[in-house]
Amino acid sequence: MAVILECHALNFRYGKTQILRDISFDVEPGLFYAILGKNGSGKTTLLHCLNGILAPSAGTVEIEGRNIATLSRKEIARHISLVPQEHMDVFPFKVLDVVVMGRAPFLGMTATPGEDDYRRAMDALKMLGYEKLANCNFNRISGGERQIALLATALVQTSKIMLLDEPTNHLDFNNQYRLLSQIKGLCRTRKTSVIATMHDPNMAMLFADRVILVKNGEIIAKGRAKETMTTANIDTLYGIRTVEVGNIGNKPFFLPESALSDSEMDDGV
Amino acid sequence: MISISNYRSKTTRRLVVFLSVVLVVLFCSSLVMGRFEINVSDIGAMVTAFFSGTAVGEDLVSKQLVFWWIRLPRCIMAVLVGMGLSVSGAVYQALFRNPLVSPDILGVAAGCTFGAALGLVLPGGNFSLVHILSFGFGLAAVALAVGIARLISVKPLIVLVLAGMVVMSFFNALLMVLKYFSDPFDELPSIVFWIMGSLSRVTWDDLLIIAPVTGIALTGFMLLRFRLNILSLGDIQSKSLGMNPAVFRSVFIVASSFIVAMTVATCGQISWIGLIIPHMARTLVGPEHERMLPVTALLGAIFLLGADGAARSVSSAEIPVGIITALTGAPIFGFLLYKNRGSGWL
Repeated sequence: MAVILECHALNFRYGKTQILRDISFDVEPGLFYAILGKNGSGKTTLLHCLNGILAPSAGTVEIEGRNIATLSRKEIARHISLVPQEHMDVFPFKVLDVVVMGRAPFLGMTATPGEDDYRRAMDALKMLGYEKLANCNFNRISGGERQIALLATALVQTSKIMLLDEPTNHLDFNNQYRLLSQIKGLCRTRKTSVIATMHDPNMAMLFADRVILVKNGEIIAKGRAKETMTTANIDTLYGIRTVEVGNIGNKPFFLPESALSDSEMDDGV
Repeated sequence: MISISNYRSKTTRRLVVFLSVVLVVLFCSSLVMGRFEINVSDIGAMVTAFFSGTAVGEDLVSKQLVFWWIRLPRCIMAVLVGMGLSVSGAVYQALFRNPLVSPDILGVAAGCTFGAALGLVLPGGNFSLVHILSFGFGLAAVALAVGIARLISVKPLIVLVLAGMVVMSFFNALLMVLKYFSDPFDELPSIVFWIMGSLSRVTWDDLLIIAPVTGIALTGFMLLRFRLNILSLGDIQSKSLGMNPAVFRSVFIVASSFIVAMTVATCGQISWIGLIIPHMARTLVGPEHERMLPVTALLGAIFLLGADGAARSVSSAEIPVGIITALTGAPIFGFLLYKNRGSGWL
């Protein structure tokens, strides 16, 4: 299959600390990639290197064969969008006004969004089934709805490649699954390539096509989710012992061994 | 939904037209306001005399002097300064992602004030020296704040604000040194009066410098107003939306600092406008800079023109307009805080 984004021998150094070391992987259109790793393993830094927010100290990132170091920020933005971790804004913008900002890379420097841009913004909200949010105050909606609004902004920007930074952070049980299946739907219907940093191996197992396991800034394993997500790999990744506690829909479900023994002790109470 | 964005731009347009009319009316009435009485028919006679090239009647000579050389430049200045300060305030609030920031956050006003005080104390100091020193020190203060922030280079926004505080306190301390050693009968009062902002010193020469710079900067801000929305999302978001926030920030900071430095160098410190007017505009039309920036400019002009009118007509001795803006600004700001308590920016 074609490769839409290629990350080759990427290194990132912050001062004297090496954050990322020799990261290489290819991204195919229409697939969901999950980056898993401990806190501080360099997941977010990796995402920010992929769309040029951070400049790698060595290595290249190529979009459709073009090195992003040679592209303008605007051009990169037309190919890659980013959904940041949940955030509050300082000004009480309306959701529609936040979503329409996704048109920024397509507007001239001095232009303001026109009717067509607002229509696209509205369409993105409609596609996610949240057009009722359009006229709400961005700071006054729930965390889940805010994440949807930011996803819509990214959709308006481009659905070619989407980077998601811990998209399910701060979301409740139900919203986590809803958001991820929405995103998975985009992969299938619009051939969006999604690269998301995630914390929960089971969630990655459920939604991701490919996983990239990052430990101390290095990839320890990557590939098809089913083949890569083994207890051995998860053990190394998090430095704990995990067990497979059964299958759900033909996919393994993992728990840390310590959690299991804790719950067994509780049973005796 | 498209109708919503349409509806909003229509109401904004109506508000802009309304405020423009208010501004024009207020401008005309400001020309006849004040202790020295000039009425509408006098102005009519002066204007016809000006265009027909004939001399005005003897009774009008002094009125004509006051009108052409004092009142007209002063009113134009009030409009320019009001627009400049309020729009710079709005720009700074978006740039620093903080609705409580005003344009002198980087120490520009403190630097200007120190420079002016230095000019007043220096032997042989004349009026233009005061101006030049004030302007120079104002820009030096901003350069210092930005320089310190660049040296530190982590968390650019917060460090910039902190560096501004450092610079501001330093120049305030220097000002205190000057005040302490200045002659208490002659120099000290002139420093104190200079610090209280006033438009009474305005001349056509000042306007000749301020008008083009303010005009260019304001036009630039207006053209880039959608970009301010994106900048206000923060660096990571604006970068991933294809902008270069560092470049925009420097351009905006340099332009606003020029406006504020020139204003303080000619009129002293006129407080509160940069803080409250953007909030008023946001309350009226919402936080999107496409709509709020023009409203901010008009409101700023109206507010300062009105305050200056009050300053010269309330009592027989003129009150510095800085006192009026502070006296009215504080309660208005309190009211706006109360009014916007549910909107999510607190």
